[in-house]
Amino acid sequence: MTPATSLKQNGLVPVLGMSAVIVAVNAWLQPSFFDASSIASNLASLAPLILVSVAQAIVILNRELDLSMGAGVSLLNCLLASFAPYSLGGVPGQLAATLGVALLLGATNGVLVAVLGLPSLIATFATSALWFGGALAIMPQPGGAVGEAIGDAYYATVAGVPVPLLVIAGAMALWMLVSRHRVGRWIVVTGSSPAAVFQAGISLIRVRLGAYLLAWFFVFLSAVAISAQTLSGDARLAQSYTLGSIAACVIGGISLRGGKGSPWGALLGAVVLGVIGNVIYFAGIPSSWQEFTKGLIVVGALGFIVFEQRTAR
Amino acid sequence: MTSAERIAGVEEGVASVPILDLKGVGKRFAGIVALEGIDLELRSGEVLGLLGANGSGKSTLSRIIAGETRADQGRVLIAGRALTRASPRVAAGLGVVIAHQHPSLPPHLPVWESLFLGAEICTTGGFIDRRRARRDAIDILSWLGARVDPDALAGSLTAAGQQWVEIARAVSRKPRLLILDEPSAAMTGPEVAALFTSVRRLTAEGVGIIFISHRLHEVEELCGRIVVLRNGHHAGSWSTRGRLDVPRILQLMSGDREVRERTAPGQTLGESAVGDPVVGEALLEVSGLTSGTAVRGASLTLRRGEVLGIAGLQGQGQEELLEAIAACRPFEQGTLRVGGTEVRPRCPRDMIRRGICLVPNDRHRQGLFVDGDVGSNLGYVAVAADRRPWRLPPRALAAFVRTTIERLSIKTRGPRQAVDTLSGGNQQKIVVGKWLSIPFDVILLSDPTKGVDIHARTEIYELVQDLVAADRAAIVYASDVHELLLHCSRILVMYEGRITADLAGAAMNEDRIAAASFGQPAMDVVS
Repeated sequence: MTPATSLKQNGLVPVLGMSAVIVAVNAWLQPSFFDASSIASNLASLAPLILVSVAQAIVILNRELDLSMGAGVSLLNCLLASFAPYSLGGVPGQLAATLGVALLLGATNGVLVAVLGLPSLIATFATSALWFGGALAIMPQPGGAVGEAIGDAYYATVAGVPVPLLVIAGAMALWMLVSRHRVGRWIVVTGSSPAAVFQAGISLIRVRLGAYLLAWFFVFLSAVAISAQTLSGDARLAQSYTLGSIAACVIGGISLRGGKGSPWGALLGAVVLGVIGNVIYFAGIPSSWQEFTKGLIVVGALGFIVFEQRTAR
Repeated sequence: MTSAERIAGVEEGVASVPILDLKGVGKRFAGIVALEGIDLELRSGEVLGLLGANGSGKSTLSRIIAGETRADQGRVLIAGRALTRASPRVAAGLGVVIAHQHPSLPPHLPVWESLFLGAEICTTGGFIDRRRARRDAIDILSWLGARVDPDALAGSLTAAGQQWVEIARAVSRKPRLLILDEPSAAMTGPEVAALFTSVRRLTAEGVGIIFISHRLHEVEELCGRIVVLRNGHHAGSWSTRGRLDVPRILQLMSGDREVRERTAPGQTLGESAVGDPVVGEALLEVSGLTSGTAVRGASLTLRRGEVLGIAGLQGQGQEELLEAIAACRPFEQGTLRVGGTEVRPRCPRDMIRRGICLVPNDRHRQGLFVDGDVGSNLGYVAVAADRRPWRLPPRALAAFVRTTIERLSIKTRGPRQAVDTLSGGNQQKIVVGKWLSIPFDVILLSDPTKGVDIHARTEIYELVQDLVAADRAAIVYASDVHELLLHCSRILVMYEGRITADLAGAAMNEDRIAAASFGQPAMDVVS
């Protein structure tokens, strides 16, 4: 299979064009866009949405949805900010505990959807309220403090490469590894045809559960990345990530009916969504119109995707 | 004695345990008997033909053997070991694999990968060995003689292509007992021949085969023994020795019903049972029709009073030709004349108003509202065609539904029965019957007897003959050439999107059709 057909089969063509255009516009409006410091700061602020979008991509490829990811990121953020300094053996222990909670949240969604067979739209909407409630219980007002070591590490560079880029690269490498494993294939193939997977003697329950657990590892990474930036806890911090991650997946060419697309598309979709904010800012659009403009661009992006799919046939 | 029988004989010396041994197997669904008291034995290297009308329990029986559902009564022994759980995985472990009639392949998965779904070829640690899996898939497909692109996405294949992938998937599991559930339903002559060659090679290796088909001549050719089911009961079994007592089998399948099937083995195919049709003026003239890549410049003329058959290998554009005429797919180039007037097909509604209606290929997806009941499925054409649907008197509609059920002898408890609980033949009668509510001149039927039992097939063709006798015309595409030879007055052959032969009278025979199916005008055919 040539790279071109691979791009096409994964629906990556439109989002590649879109991200190129939006980056070009940004660079035109902001001449310093390609400076090392500007790239580093943009990556740092984009990383959380990218990571949560990749998480959402895994669930959507499995033909499910997760509406609780934004609330989940907020809950994990509040948790990280609520630890007393040096508790749990310092930052590593705190991160391990947060990862454990993240996997527990993912497992809860997975059990509701895979084992009990509830529609994921409803089940994860319900759990999003639980996570939000939990975050408010931990941190009724924004506050607390995230271990400074996390923030310092996040803004450091390793051999000149910014850490957020390394985190994103590591996350994508993990996905590539999983997607070459039979379990990773089953996650995607289940989205394509659950009946075929069932008839092949594969346990749908385990595959769906696995998809949620894997996704919530990425949610954890997203929570750490955003906490490293804010260094404090806020129960409403990541509310926009739920629908933002779904939009990134759709812009990235992932079919909401599952089975078709690639987390790379979600990554690029998140870049498009993130850079739109920059463009609007540097274009000098009045702040009261920023959201409206953002909406217009997203609608335009969707129209572009529909157009591409029509002509591809 | 064939080599298969010899090898089987040798194997029996080693282990005389049959591969499959059923005793008193029974199954009920919601209290209704689907199977009762089935005893069955199958030995290594044997091909057993399983016959029965739709709804006779063939599918239920094969699903029980393959571990997809559990028998309520009796026992299932596979190579001497009991199958107690409903688990395809356990059954496959014991050596039973089924190739389904309607395979569910993940549409976005390449062929080579779908072959090994659930039994991936992996390196250590469970990572998929893409190169080896792809090579093995190519080996199996070419061993079968299947012409399927290993890199194509499963969803882009034709029905026959998907069937080949399903068979290859089953064979790749190295079964001791292989169940082939109507494997040839979507295949055409040469593909069926390739399939039979593979089946014989499998039996020579000692694999036992259960072969399910509605095509008696295939069963006759392939099976050493047949079992007939009727209403979930064992109705009879024979050794065939290459010949079938067709009238007897039909009688057993139908019980006491009068056998009206005209496929007697003595009858020379080509001597159509259809009398000389009274052919009138041209109703439909298609010239240079092009639609996508499937139909590339097809031309034909249909006259009043004709049943025009369309033959050819699977996937030569037959379905698409009929769909383009009915405006269900773009009519990109060419001209269409309906009753002498040139028409530009825009949408199905437009063509229906001009008197052209389609019985589409995929009954479940295109022909029926599968969640609806008998009455709504029969009645919706009348409702949709009426320009003032709110004025349509419900009483007239109910009367139409009642008379149509009666006229087509649709076996149903009544208009309220859900269509998905009907057998394939009765569903198809509804798909045809819904058009009787409006006036039309031409009916296009795309493989109308797919998955339909023999009696319903005959009834569907009789209905078509009745319609045509009443001054209409029909075009029938069927994957079974024998059906076309029996029921059509003229046959066109399609090859690579074009009509390559127009055969009538003495020229209308199997050899000529086979030759034209390969795009050859001459009679030299690979047999």
